[in-house]
Amino acid sequence: MSERIAVKHTMDLAWRYASGEAMERFCADLSDRRIEALRCGGCGRRYLPPRPFCGNCRLRMTERVPVRDVGTLVAWTVVHTPILDGRTGEPRPAPYGMGLIRLDGADTTLNHYLAEADPARLRVGSRVRAVWRPALRGAMDDILHFEVLS
Amino acid sequence: MNVDLHGSIGVAGVGQSGPSAADPRSIPEMVLDAVERALGDAVVRWVDIDAVVTASVDLFDGLTASNVAVTEVIGAVMKPETRIAADGLCAAIHAACQLRAGACRTVLVVAHGKASMAPRAAIEAWAVDPIFLQPLGVNFSTIAGLEARLLCDRDPEAVERWGHVVARRRADAAPHGVAAAVAPEDVLAAPVLASPLTQAMEAPPADAAYAVVLRADGDGLPVRWVAAGHDLEAHAPGDRPLSSRPGLRRAFDRACRSAALAPDAPFGLLEPSCRYPHEEDLLRQVLGAACKSAAISPGGGLYAGDAPCAAGLGRLVDAARRLRDEPRLGRALVHGAWGPAGQGQAVAILEAAP
Amino acid sequence: MRRVAIIGTGQTRHARCRDDASQPELVREAAAAALADAELRPADIDAVLLSNMELFEGRAFPELWAGEGAFACGKPCMKVATGGTSGTSACIAAFHQVASGLFDTALVVGFEKHSEGHTQTGMALTDPFWDRAVASGALGNFALSISEYMTERGVTERQAALVAVKARTNAARNPHAHLKSPEVTVEEVLASRMLAHPVRLFDMCPQSDGACAMVVASEECARRACSRPAWVKATATRHEQPYLGDIDRRLCAMRTLRDASRAVYAAAGIIDPLAELDVAEIYEPVTYAELAWYEALGFCEDGGAGRLIEDGVTSMDGALPVNPSGGVLSTNPVGASGVIRVAEAALQIHGRGGARQVDGARLALATGYGVYAWADAVVLGAEP
Repeated sequence: MSERIAVKHTMDLAWRYASGEAMERFCADLSDRRIEALRCGGCGRRYLPPRPFCGNCRLRMTERVPVRDVGTLVAWTVVHTPILDGRTGEPRPAPYGMGLIRLDGADTTLNHYLAEADPARLRVGSRVRAVWRPALRGAMDDILHFEVLS
Repeated sequence: MNVDLHGSIGVAGVGQSGPSAADPRSIPEMVLDAVERALGDAVVRWVDIDAVVTASVDLFDGLTASNVAVTEVIGAVMKPETRIAADGLCAAIHAACQLRAGACRTVLVVAHGKASMAPRAAIEAWAVDPIFLQPLGVNFSTIAGLEARLLCDRDPEAVERWGHVVARRRADAAPHGVAAAVAPEDVLAAPVLASPLTQAMEAPPADAAYAVVLRADGDGLPVRWVAAGHDLEAHAPGDRPLSSRPGLRRAFDRACRSAALAPDAPFGLLEPSCRYPHEEDLLRQVLGAACKSAAISPGGGLYAGDAPCAAGLGRLVDAARRLRDEPRLGRALVHGAWGPAGQGQAVAILEAAP
Repeated sequence: MRRVAIIGTGQTRHARCRDDASQPELVREAAAAALADAELRPADIDAVLLSNMELFEGRAFPELWAGEGAFACGKPCMKVATGGTSGTSACIAAFHQVASGLFDTALVVGFEKHSEGHTQTGMALTDPFWDRAVASGALGNFALSISEYMTERGVTERQAALVAVKARTNAARNPHAHLKSPEVTVEEVLASRMLAHPVRLFDMCPQSDGACAMVVASEECARRACSRPAWVKATATRHEQPYLGDIDRRLCAMRTLRDASRAVYAAAGIIDPLAELDVAEIYEPVTYAELAWYEALGFCEDGGAGRLIEDGVTSMDGALPVNPSGGVLSTNPVGASGVIRVAEAALQIHGRGGARQVDGARLALATGYGVYAWADAVVLGAEP
């Protein structure tokens, strides 16, 4: 059989994303270590990330409610096979903990890293607290990870 | 749901957001604006919408399964949504199929595109055959240049005529579009895009979102959806004639056949998706006598702003509004296209209620 | 809705890397097989629906290049793309287009060639402000939801391993399947490499190169051309909110699949799915999801899925064989995976399942799963 031919292409595309009004304010608030959710006037659900519209009630949302940087772990995992970091294209050093965190004051959960990577020390229902980057930049990774409170 | 479908499909309402050169809003903000306008125009509530059909393409939006960005604002949470990754008019054609099938009674059709997010030509390079064409640096405008060259070799006056056509479209579009009017001589004198096409001849990329409500029981509505057809042509430019559009002809013939409409039945209005002026010549070739007395893109068509994947639905929005305002125009042809040299073709035929 | 039926199916050999075929050739392999199965020629096809997740191969409008493989040139053709549900949604789109009366026949082809792109990059383009910096990927997001599910429903790693054993054993009887291991044991699954706690290598679906096709026909055409059409009795699609964190108790609740399945059961007159369905082909990207879907689909009470798999109810000789094909766990070309679910369900009704045939299958369920919780459900029957 003749040798197979493969044509190689390297994809290099850059996008410029508009944040939207609610996300813009959310990011600006992060640089003040402040988090606010939007509350739906129909179902009362407090949404993070804040967004213009409650998909369940089909209503625009405007009411802001304060959210603390402590919360409850509602789901966790310890990742051994890391995926690529969407910002750098490099994998994060493994193993590392990840959690779904319901911050006090919000009803949806936040997907974020955990400081703890030992399955024996992680359980659903644990209390966790955000560990902030010293120099804040107004982005989600201003929160480095969440630490489990004993 | 089982709906008796002896009645016709109607265009119940339309809405749009844009076009603008660089909309500062996010995709969901733009889409919500267009959808709320369409629902208001149709005088329907969210609960009246049985299904949603959207059009978007991941590479343009820079998002995986990019309709996730709009699921909430189109009201598709816990509802059926179908995402067509092609020109927005295809989404409307699929919605009409759902209505004709009796699968639902009222469908919302939504398309969005934000050309300001990424360079259009760079993304379109990823739409051509990666083995033979992409390594050559072929993109949509180079293939359009080949088409235009073939036409003007036969017709020495073509280029000058295109200068006038573009100037006319751009003047009509200027009040609400993203680009200024340009005099015919300046169209011709602009830097070359792909000879004989100049940069001023290309419809300007834009950000826009469009929404249309289609209803199964459209007999009482001022604008009816009469027929539609679509087609996919061969990919390689060498595999198909570049001085005619057989794919458009097939799409048009299918539409006419499906509604038992004579192919020479006259149109009062054409709303084509022509990114380049020679594409209007190719459209006229197909329509022949049917377009003799038709108004073409009174609002400037794509020259008001060409939003990727959304343009064809924008033509439907413009045509429906125009037929509502000027029912004497009678019948309108709406056209959408995607791919190099119009490889993908879609047409819909609308009629003003008698 | 007007009656439509599936009258032929075909698929490629699925493998990690099919570099013996280009993307159009892979599509052609499946399309030609489906036409041969339906005893039709390309000219007999009126319209084509394609399914593919373009970012995985890094293509824009992949149908422009690959459509020729589906005999789509000169025909009406559209591509459907909704993440994991792309394939099931493309099938449903074809059902609607044929039921509209516009077309007598439609060819559906789903394909993915993961080896020609970078799947992780294709999945990494999530919301750039909210979760791109903290992305968990398909694996991580399942692992997260599984911890909630295990805590609430008491499902064990051993019960999940039984799902993997069933899938890989069934796949050994499917000539098209990617991963086949007829001898695999629960112990081997439990000893396989940890990917993201508690998901191990054998719990997770692979990435495959492959394509799957089917011919959809109007009632008149189906009765003329096929001795045993697989009639489309009901379909439903439900989409969900966009962020993983929007969905409370995802695997426990799965309100989309619950609602979609209740809708198709009602439309098809099914009261007790476990008793009435003869076979199910469900989209289970991870072992634990199959257990959660049993509950969402009403095959058992909430919390009963572990018993169902332990008792062998869903194995080939059980009351309701689930995924005789080996499922997504054994074969996963994403854009094709949903088409495979529907095609395998149709194959069972056609009675052409070979070594994976469920005797006398007359009523079948196929489901799709995509994004974080989008769901499709399709019921096929031997009677319209």
